[in-house]
Amino acid sequence: MTVEEIRGSVGYNNNNYNYNNNNEIDRFPIGMRVLAVDDDPTCLKLLDGLLRKCQYQVTTTNQARTALNMLRENRNRFDLVISDVHMPDMDGFKLLELVGLEMDLPVIKAVPKRILDLMNVEGLTRENVASHLQEQDPTIMMDGEFGYDPYSFGSLLSGNSDPKLVMKGITHGACDYLVKPVRLEELRNIWQHVIRKKVEPKPQSRSNNNQEKPNNEGGQEAGSGDPNGKFNRKRKDEDEDVEDNGDEADDSSTQKKPRVVWSIDLHRKFVAAVNQLGIEKAVPKRILDLMNVEGLTRENVASHLQKYRLYLKRISQQANMVVAFGGSKDASSYMRMSSLDGLGDFRSLSGSGRLPNAQISSYSHSGMLGRLNSATGMTLHSLTGPSLIQPTHTQNLTGSVSSVSSLNKFQPVVLPTPPNHQPANLFQGIPTSFDLGQLQQSNKPNIQLPDFNPVDESRIFNGSSTFSTLGSQSSLNLASSSSTFLDAPNFHDQLPPNGSLKYGYPASSNTVTGFGSNITSTASVPLEGQGQSQSRSQRHGQHGKQSYGQYSSNAFSTLGAAAPPPNGGGLGGPMSQSNDQICGVYNTSNWNGPNGKTNRSSTELKMESGENYLPSGTNGYDSLDDLMNGMVKREQDPTIMMDGEFGYDPYSFGSCI
Amino acid sequence: MEQNHTKRQIKVTRNSLFEQGYLDEQFTQLEDLQDDANPNFVEEIVTSFFSDSTRLIRNVETALENYPLDFCKLDDYMHQFMGSSSSIGAKKVRNECTQFQEYCKARNDDGCIRAFQRVKQEHATLKRKLEAYFQVSL
Repeated sequence: MTVEEIRGSVGYNNNNYNYNNNNEIDRFPIGMRVLAVDDDPTCLKLLDGLLRKCQYQVTTTNQARTALNMLRENRNRFDLVISDVHMPDMDGFKLLELVGLEMDLPVIKAVPKRILDLMNVEGLTRENVASHLQEQDPTIMMDGEFGYDPYSFGSLLSGNSDPKLVMKGITHGACDYLVKPVRLEELRNIWQHVIRKKVEPKPQSRSNNNQEKPNNEGGQEAGSGDPNGKFNRKRKDEDEDVEDNGDEADDSSTQKKPRVVWSIDLHRKFVAAVNQLGIEKAVPKRILDLMNVEGLTRENVASHLQKYRLYLKRISQQANMVVAFGGSKDASSYMRMSSLDGLGDFRSLSGSGRLPNAQISSYSHSGMLGRLNSATGMTLHSLTGPSLIQPTHTQNLTGSVSSVSSLNKFQPVVLPTPPNHQPANLFQGIPTSFDLGQLQQSNKPNIQLPDFNPVDESRIFNGSSTFSTLGSQSSLNLASSSSTFLDAPNFHDQLPPNGSLKYGYPASSNTVTGFGSNITSTASVPLEGQGQSQSRSQRHGQHGKQSYGQYSSNAFSTLGAAAPPPNGGGLGGPMSQSNDQICGVYNTSNWNGPNGKTNRSSTELKMESGENYLPSGTNGYDSLDDLMNGMVKREQDPTIMMDGEFGYDPYSFGSCI
Repeated sequence: MEQNHTKRQIKVTRNSLFEQGYLDEQFTQLEDLQDDANPNFVEEIVTSFFSDSTRLIRNVETALENYPLDFCKLDDYMHQFMGSSSSIGAKKVRNECTQFQEYCKARNDDGCIRAFQRVKQEHATLKRKLEAYFQVSL
């Protein structure tokens, strides 16, 4: 057994940017600590080279056992784990499971299979997936890392791309699934999986939401017990599933409709129904009937279905690397928001429910972010400090559908990390490497939350920028910088002087298929809820779910909290509570926020026109969000897994094998 | 002048490897990873591949001598082989591995044996060519 520790140079620059040779800002986190596990020396060496090229701190080992020991010794030692699936001493899935269970680290698995032709799969998906990434490399393979595209696995996979494997990976908690040979671009983007977001749940008056909290098994993200029941997706509480439709008294198509929170349970039901009907024949109405959930509307199902399909697609395209994010808070220090290329369909956990104003940033894997401009809930996870929340959800609060759609694409990867894990190993708030110290400097909750202005739905959360700064100053910087890499030029302008970041979606990213990236990373971001005690009793898979819920809910709640006044100062108030909530990447929760209805309706229309779910930009968004939300990492559950056909769970990426 | 000539030669040799399908763009990625910090990355990784794959080949040969053939194991070996060969961009080798796997799936003894012969051949050819290439380029 050989363990080599290779310390790459950790580079921070004052501006938290990493400049590449062309003096352009590189947007990926420098110094992220990665553990690479592969029994094949050639592959390991390649991984090592790639990761070092990305300026990550790399540690390699050819034995899963060793990796496990290292992780057990110090779970915060690494931010991300990339593991091969086929290994002699321990199956990659097993490692994933153990890692996930014990440490909530998102794991990415690698299996040898090159799926170049993935790129040729339906244009729609591709587009979404890699708008940004493709700029860099048209042939890049978005390994579905983030984002879940419901592609049909069959066409993409062969050998290792067996959908069953992918699903397996997902259920085991893989954040992302990469296929060998792994490409540099993919690795550059995997950090996106690691965004965790701590979201302070906003106190909700909604009764049903509030009551849930009790089941924090999954770990509630919100520090304080998650007042927002709604946002707590991960709740196991079935009642919650019903969501929110019931809550809103004055729902109207034009008003903000409470989002349905696709909790794990709900999503599970959904998937079971879809499986029962057959993905091809699964129409919202029938799914709805099968699910038999009170209060759930056909619209909800339809939008969720759309997302789910996208997700599956994405997963199927994924290759075989599983990326796990773990990490300590420090990760955030060097995490810099890099543009997200459609890769990750991160579904922000924030997808949970309805947060009218909550813009949960979904962290999309590489492409996504860029496109969506919404930083996935990168929140700085600082022990003490405020959590930065990256609302990636570009909720169409005001009905800017386009933004929503872009959000869709951007699915934050939900990392099923138990909220109680403080060390949000995932890059907490991938703020451009600003130091944690900075964040932590004030224990006080000066959380800068991007303004969630209900009206302004196009808030793009600059992941990095927003989070990292506690102070307006820094946030400003970040904001500007982030805007750069988020490819959201427009959002840059939106940054208010006070540093609050707004979320917006870049116009360019409209394809819902942002989920494209095949890597579904289930970054298990330990959300640190304030005072949340997560008991990770569940399997890793479950965690994933939990975390999702949490994230999303947290995200939402935070957002919610922040939403009200567009105050530049960030959401000092509400946010302050969520000091320690940082969510890593989380899948976009349902973005069907206030305008969900509206969006949905258009989506609905589309759907109605023949169940033709296309990840249309705007429309898709909603559904994607829903889907994302719903896609919680699931624990291994055979009934949930699509028979090898679809990847499931936008959150957990475990897409194809 | 002579140096330039050699450089050109190197380029030609390299290009032909791509043109003839021995290597694919993954190899280019390897080259991209080579830099001052890693001046011999390509050669190192290729060397590592050949030593590891030689071992794998021996394992497969042994497995092919035991009847009935253990297709699962063979498939596993090929899976590994495929992973590493695709990691260095060994296109033809990888393709032959795929073929082999097909025969494994079909549980075709003869097919496997023949396919494996081809794998070995491609492997040997590539090794030769890359060794020659490194000799002139390094």
